[in-house]
Amino acid sequence: MEEMNKEEICQQALENEAMEGTEMELSTQAENEKQNIEELLEKGDSKDTDEPLDKNVRLMSPGRMVVRRFFRSKLSVVGLVMVLGLFIFCFLGPVFYNQWGETQVDDTPSKRYSPTTYTIEVHGQIYEIRETIETDVPYNSYGEISSEHVLGTDQLGYDVLARLMYGGRISLMVSFLAVFVITILGVIAGGIAGYFGGKVDNIIMRICDILMCLPGIPILLIIGLILDSAKNVPVIGDPSTRIYLLMICLTFISWPGTARLVRGQILSLREQEYMVAAEAMGYSAKRKIFKHLVPNVMPQLIVQMSLSLGSMILYEATLSFLNLGVRAPYAAWGTMINVLTTDPNVITLHPLVWLPAGICIVIAVLGFNFVGDGLRDALDPKARR
Amino acid sequence: MLKYILKRLGLAVLILFGVSLIIYILIRVMPVDFIQDKINAMNQGGATIEQSTVDALYETYGLKDRSFAGIISGYFTWLLNIFKFDFGVSFIHKIPVTEVISSKMGISFAVALIATVFEFLIAIPLGITAATHQYSIRDYITTILVMIGISLPSFFFGEMLKGIFAYNLGWFPIAGMETASGTSGGIAQLLDYAHHMVLPILTIVILSIGPRMRMTRTNMLEVLNADYIRTARAKGLKESKVINKHAFRNTLIPLVTTLAGLLPSLFSGAIITEQVFGLDGIGNVALKAMNSGDIPFIMGYNMFLAFLSVIGVLLSDLMYAWVDPRVKLE
Repeated sequence: MEEMNKEEICQQALENEAMEGTEMELSTQAENEKQNIEELLEKGDSKDTDEPLDKNVRLMSPGRMVVRRFFRSKLSVVGLVMVLGLFIFCFLGPVFYNQWGETQVDDTPSKRYSPTTYTIEVHGQIYEIRETIETDVPYNSYGEISSEHVLGTDQLGYDVLARLMYGGRISLMVSFLAVFVITILGVIAGGIAGYFGGKVDNIIMRICDILMCLPGIPILLIIGLILDSAKNVPVIGDPSTRIYLLMICLTFISWPGTARLVRGQILSLREQEYMVAAEAMGYSAKRKIFKHLVPNVMPQLIVQMSLSLGSMILYEATLSFLNLGVRAPYAAWGTMINVLTTDPNVITLHPLVWLPAGICIVIAVLGFNFVGDGLRDALDPKARR
Repeated sequence: MLKYILKRLGLAVLILFGVSLIIYILIRVMPVDFIQDKINAMNQGGATIEQSTVDALYETYGLKDRSFAGIISGYFTWLLNIFKFDFGVSFIHKIPVTEVISSKMGISFAVALIATVFEFLIAIPLGITAATHQYSIRDYITTILVMIGISLPSFFFGEMLKGIFAYNLGWFPIAGMETASGTSGGIAQLLDYAHHMVLPILTIVILSIGPRMRMTRTNMLEVLNADYIRTARAKGLKESKVINKHAFRNTLIPLVTTLAGLLPSLFSGAIITEQVFGLDGIGNVALKAMNSGDIPFIMGYNMFLAFLSVIGVLLSDLMYAWVDPRVKLE
């Protein structure tokens, strides 16, 4: 009989766990109710006051509260529109704009003009000579904007708009994958470290310290060099898998941030009463960590994920710009800006080749940052608005 | 306190040991043929790398011996050399790596220092006005602008500035450190340097102002909600005095802490910005080294960066305790 009772109490405590996690929503819910009451009082509906108040109060689920608070902020809505717009552009765009493929060259012969400047000295006078060299190329190099090419073509005759779409696919996909892997690694490591504490915690945190001290871009440059050396190895040496391999390496040095976040939260959560109850129920450590602790870290994790999506896009773009990531003939936003390093004339002469790619990167990163910020405010238990 | 510092120093050594192990493993993954290819390519490109330099590299890394014992002993020979500050001779520069780093560090340091000063001068007032006028138009505009700054990729923004101000308007030089004929010395040369540094510094400042401004804003908001601010207002102090004297000082605590954390970024050089503007700093040198496979330099540079960030973390923790007497280190 006593046994039964204990179990019941524990079950109750476990149910309370959900309450703990949604404490903030409750408080804001209460606040919301208060607001509604105030509104009612302001209206001066004195005859309504006889009715029980809860008839006039709309109760909202915690999830809906968060959604409502998220959409109340204009910036987060703008961010969401930016992100969704880019997704539609990249993944549905090629369906409608299908006359050019990612690696399809427009082979209309054209002339390429490359201005050069050099100085000569004649009788002590220095003359600067500017000359435009004209070369015939068998493809449509730097084609103008036309009905055929909405944004023109780039130096090798690829359609800029089509490459913008396909490049965006890679950038977005790679970043999503990277954030996904980082979160999983971080949750596992952080969860274990925070729950077990002691030696395990110490070892995992020291590994985090070491990884956090590794300089990101330089290490990836070395890995790029290693991938260069494996050029002839199947799969690894393939130019299209290159960026994925690099991003996998990036996730291996980026998970400590998430792990620290999860660990910090779990350190305080494991002292809660519902964890004592879970202990009394004799649940396994795995169940306690991933069923009872990690879900309560979810709000912070979601914010962290959306913010790190932005930084992963920046990382991917930088790698591609340095010619480490996606390489020709494949497109990525960073790769499209890479032209500038080989031909500086493009900066002013053909801004359409590189400017749209940069704008896409900014929109993507800005969108994810706005969404992340909005989520943080919406999920923040202390937030007033 | 002393005990804490000693403990942290011990940890720092452990971290550096781990970092060195990872970096060594990375270099061991590269096949020797590949390194030889890179060296040959460099030699064909006009560089003259003597066989003795290459042999010295193989020697210090133990690259020729591919047995397990060889790898272990190779690592320890390399580690011993590091303790002697011997990172080997750079292939490209033909002088010891430590000399390359110390000779190129000055420029990067100057650029980073000036940029950091500007960053603080702009970010702190911006953060404070945003916080004191929370949810006003001013707050929204600064927040949006700063967010755009965070979201800009450095290479894109750098190229854009270059396109507008150097190519189209011609106000600033396109790249490089100094005008070729400008070897007059004195103030004229200094001005010439400054002229070349405007765009790179602008790039760095705009990109990194964001986090600092947001940090100031959050701290300021927190401080403004504190009881002592209410007391200050209640006793009838002027609003300017409340903000500047009572609130501002407490906002500074976390900002000062980040100051020590800035140490690595001051010395490590901005790889992308330096490359875009053709500055002869350590970041640009490192990028070139990595593209051509200058292994001794790459390894030395990475160890240098890791060392800096270990010291940076340690210093910022100590700084935290020093600035805020409520913090107790254990």
